[in-house]
Amino acid sequence: MKGLVLVKQVPDTNSVFRVNSKGTWIDESNLSYTLNDYDRYGLEEALKLKDNGNLTEVIVLTVGPANTSPILRNCLAMGADRAIHIKDDVLDGCDPLSLAKVIKAALKDENLSIVLAGLQAEGDNHMQIGGLVAGLLDWPFASAAMSISLQDNDFIRVERELDNNQLQVVDLQLPAVVTVQTGINTPRYASLKGIMAAKKKPLSIQSLSDLGLDPDVVGSQAARLTSLSLAPPTKGNAAEILAGSPDKVAQDLLERIRKQTGLM
Amino acid sequence: MTSQIIILAEHEEGTLREISFELLGLAHRIAATQNWDEKRISAALLGQGTHKLADELTKRGASEVLYVDNEVFANYTSDGYRSALVELLIAENPQLVLIGATPNGWDVAPLIAAQLDVPLATGCMDVSFENGRAIFTRKAFNGKFVHRVAVVNAQPLIATIDKGSSSPFDSSTSGNVRHVELAIKPNKLRSRFVEVKTASSGALDLTQANIIVSGGRGIGAPEKLGVIRELADALGAQVGASRAVTDAGWLPHEHQIGSSGVTVSPMLYIACGISGAIQHIVGMKNSNYIVAINKDPDAPIFDVADIGVVGDLFDYVPALSKAIKEAKD
Repeated sequence: MKGLVLVKQVPDTNSVFRVNSKGTWIDESNLSYTLNDYDRYGLEEALKLKDNGNLTEVIVLTVGPANTSPILRNCLAMGADRAIHIKDDVLDGCDPLSLAKVIKAALKDENLSIVLAGLQAEGDNHMQIGGLVAGLLDWPFASAAMSISLQDNDFIRVERELDNNQLQVVDLQLPAVVTVQTGINTPRYASLKGIMAAKKKPLSIQSLSDLGLDPDVVGSQAARLTSLSLAPPTKGNAAEILAGSPDKVAQDLLERIRKQTGLM
Repeated sequence: MTSQIIILAEHEEGTLREISFELLGLAHRIAATQNWDEKRISAALLGQGTHKLADELTKRGASEVLYVDNEVFANYTSDGYRSALVELLIAENPQLVLIGATPNGWDVAPLIAAQLDVPLATGCMDVSFENGRAIFTRKAFNGKFVHRVAVVNAQPLIATIDKGSSSPFDSSTSGNVRHVELAIKPNKLRSRFVEVKTASSGALDLTQANIIVSGGRGIGAPEKLGVIRELADALGAQVGASRAVTDAGWLPHEHQIGSSGVTVSPMLYIACGISGAIQHIVGMKNSNYIVAINKDPDAPIFDVADIGVVGDLFDYVPALSKAIKEAKD
């Protein structure tokens, strides 16, 4: 059984973000990029399934510009067997549905049993790629997994995170797509040996024409969902901010807390 | 042919979830501003023996309830909801579909969008129309930015809507219930419900706490949680946490406050090193008095806090602990 993990590079969440000159998205120059944290958990879950003998091969797949390859090497160093990088300039600015169509085209001949992805990407927070891919493939789907276990060769059991500290347990017929929530496992670090081995692992780069896709259909020009504007939220009822030395602020805080809560 | 809006009603254990009424509230607001017929606001209800809920929806904002009563819908499954909703939406061909940005909503919405070949706008707070384009207002970067996206050439328009972003519909209405028969069989489902269970069964019950001191990613390392515990001890408070802290294993899951943890409303809530992702905010925003200490002046936590301190929590939290201890002596 083969598994594939969808991964994405995202700007480091500790970055100071500025809006670009058009006001449509963040200014992407001078940012450092990293593997989306949710995807790190997705890859770890696939590697665990391989460690347990449930999967024979773990493939990672990303769609992104040329500078995306370091995260794929990182995934290979963690233990993925091979990587697929779909790279095409016309995909810069394509919408999530088109992205899912590209992903579907790239994995349709891989004879996969399971596709894993992070619940969402840090940054755009669209939270839909995994479900869109499942919908396009017409495969069973579960989101926000906090546990995944193989039942037999036909079914996996997934514990989905709900509200209020609840989990829904559901069995999915394979092949299936599952998105994972952070905290499902403890992602491993790449070992030195893994980093060395990653250099020799296969990393294939494919364009839209390699996948037999028409740029006029899935490219950015055809996007039906586009980013109009990005702006900091208006500070309607923003908090009163106390300033001063820690001791001074502590006295002021204590006074407010007493007055407002009647405590102490 | 006037524009129709369909909302997905959510229910559990025989009760409609609040999001259903919030979606009806938003649907009425959109219909009013767009001059759409308020008689064309429908609710899709998938259930088994839940006729009472269908009646309730007609009284609380739905002019029509598309009610599918089938044993398949005794519990939510993505496969059951997907196939039913795709069939319903193809038959009804509405202009706009509103689904809650809830665990089941974000599970099923992308499946439907993919199968209908339309874009999906997620985590939205508002929907408007300008020059024939639909504009969805949402959040990005965990609430640090408001993000507006435009969707064109799509029918239906599909969006998931954040909980609490619209007021529930609050007038009384009278609508009708239309039974919809679907040829759907439990044994055909490829996702099968097993059970719903509680994630953690610890003894800690933060929902009853009068004072909570919470730590977030800004704590940096598990061994540094001492400053949070010290302040909690000084106040006689319980210790809470954001998801970053429990995911990292610095505290057990039962300390997690937010959409996937517990929802709290203590007299006093002190957030230390918590930026305030929406998932955390929904779990603590109803606290009586909120204090936030964070080094990032733009952190969204300051939007819900009553009072804030912009600075290093390792300077300000120990100072507060000390001041409280001295005041008690």
